[in-house]
Amino acid sequence: MSTTALDTTVKLGSAVLKNPVIAASGCYNRGEEFGEIIDLATWGAITLKSITRHPRLGNDMPRVFPTPSGLLNAIGLQGPGIDFFLEHVAPELAHVPTAVIASVAGFSVAEFADVAAAMDGIPNVVAIELDVSCPNVDREGQCFAADPTSLAIVVDAVKSRVKLPVIPKLMPNVADLRPIARAAQDAGADAVSLINAVRGMAIDIERALPMLANESGGLTGPAIRPIAVHAVWEVAHAVTIPIIGIGGLETGRDALEFLFAGASAVGIGTANFRDPLVHVRVVESIEAEMRRRHCGAVGELTGLAHAHAKKDGSH
Amino acid sequence: MIVRTFEGARLTDAKVGSGMPMKAPRLCTATVVNREFRAPGFWYVRLRCEHVAHNAGPAQYVALDLPGGFAVRLPLGIYTASDDAFGLLFQEWGERTSCLAALPEGEEISCIGPLGNEFTLPKRGSKATIVAGGLGVAAFWMLSRDLRAAGIDTTIVLGARSKDHVVGREELAAFGFPIEVCTDDGSFGFHGNVVERLRSLPPPGMLYGCGPRGMLRELCAHANTASIRCQISMEETFGCSMGTCWGCVVPVRRGSTQGTGYPQAPGEQRNFDFARVCADGTVFSAAEVVWKA
Repeated sequence: MSTTALDTTVKLGSAVLKNPVIAASGCYNRGEEFGEIIDLATWGAITLKSITRHPRLGNDMPRVFPTPSGLLNAIGLQGPGIDFFLEHVAPELAHVPTAVIASVAGFSVAEFADVAAAMDGIPNVVAIELDVSCPNVDREGQCFAADPTSLAIVVDAVKSRVKLPVIPKLMPNVADLRPIARAAQDAGADAVSLINAVRGMAIDIERALPMLANESGGLTGPAIRPIAVHAVWEVAHAVTIPIIGIGGLETGRDALEFLFAGASAVGIGTANFRDPLVHVRVVESIEAEMRRRHCGAVGELTGLAHAHAKKDGSH
Repeated sequence: MIVRTFEGARLTDAKVGSGMPMKAPRLCTATVVNREFRAPGFWYVRLRCEHVAHNAGPAQYVALDLPGGFAVRLPLGIYTASDDAFGLLFQEWGERTSCLAALPEGEEISCIGPLGNEFTLPKRGSKATIVAGGLGVAAFWMLSRDLRAAGIDTTIVLGARSKDHVVGREELAAFGFPIEVCTDDGSFGFHGNVVERLRSLPPPGMLYGCGPRGMLRELCAHANTASIRCQISMEETFGCSMGTCWGCVVPVRRGSTQGTGYPQAPGEQRNFDFARVCADGTVFSAAEVVWKA
């Protein structure tokens, strides 16, 4: 099998990615900032920053603060709004040499559905990720992703308006991710991505004030990786749809942890800031592992640790 | 010609307010040449990296990937650039800067640069004044070099907490411009801050500033009141250093070419927009920056 071509393609609903390595939302935009440093075609897909119905300038400064092995951020969904996006950004996406996943954020079910519907049919956009960690104004600010019912309603509403695969991005700040992931699947989600940033905070001890203007923020980077791997492991028990594993991935070994825990694809976010070429190495590592384990298709790596844990019987 | 650069949302030829094309940043290896102690906690480190040394312009910076499990790079303004090496003047402040100060000679680190836009030069025959607060002086070696080459009559005003904290004079003296020093405690030179000193000097055609936020705010107010052209290089905590994370924004006048250009949301009434310090700056015109309370 080592002599045949490796099949690294991944299916997320009807979307087919050439490899399982995806640029995570918020960290990449549409890749133009990385200029000549990287070839975007080496990504399986890139995920855009979340788009809302109206333009948002986002939070005040400071918005980011580096922490041990992590980065706290509270950008506040800065974005141009769907109209500006459709006019100025969407036409550019046709030139992106890989698949694009559009991220949609909203503060009501109607906003999610309307913005997602506007993304359907944009050239090169192959799927829609839902940034469901936003507060739901119709439910006293409770996050959509905090409750199975809320999440099911928003996924169902979006699914009824779009043809593209829909991928809710789950947040880790919940007691149990499994019923939430199951609710997403039952409502028609084509895949789930997890985890979103972990809620965190840092305090400036000189001024005795929070470091971020927003007070709290989302923690990303390698500090959260074990949390993310465990989340994927748990959700893999609960759903049959593909999982995109995200959270602090920096190396090929990290990517394999996510795949073995049950992910079909992986997202890379903060690590791009340290190493814009990290994804190239991750793809190479995955291919090397496929050869080492005589896997013809990358999907054969998904969930390996579950199978081994069962066989071993000690887990 | 369309040149792809880090210039954020615009895939156009790389021109910032300056009108000067930026040299495309690259991912390179930089090798530690040497380091010198300059003042308590202040270091001058030289790194060999041909691409950055040859292409860096005034106020540009590099983003360094330091060993030690840091999630993001350390952005630092490029101080000197000569032959195939560039120099960084910085203060030990936090773990990443301490790590950089402790790197042994010969150590290789990953470096992206040169990043950011540049100061622009005034018309031939006009006079310029450089105003640097503390480590802000790090933005001015390359500018002084270019002002000297352009034959611009320039005065440099350096401010520091005390005599022991005055940095940058050694290198800047080489350009032959008069250097005024101000100290907060009066232990050397003018007793007071740089903007106070500036007010007693003849008004130049062009002002350049870099330093603490309060100083820049005062400098911009002075420049705008006196109708003096003024460019400042700003500092913020960066996340990505590449323009993608939008973690380092500064309010600019609505309509500024450096801003996002987003339309207003329904019912929104704002006189400002946001620009990214890392990718739209770090250089902004005093007339563009909006100082929120």
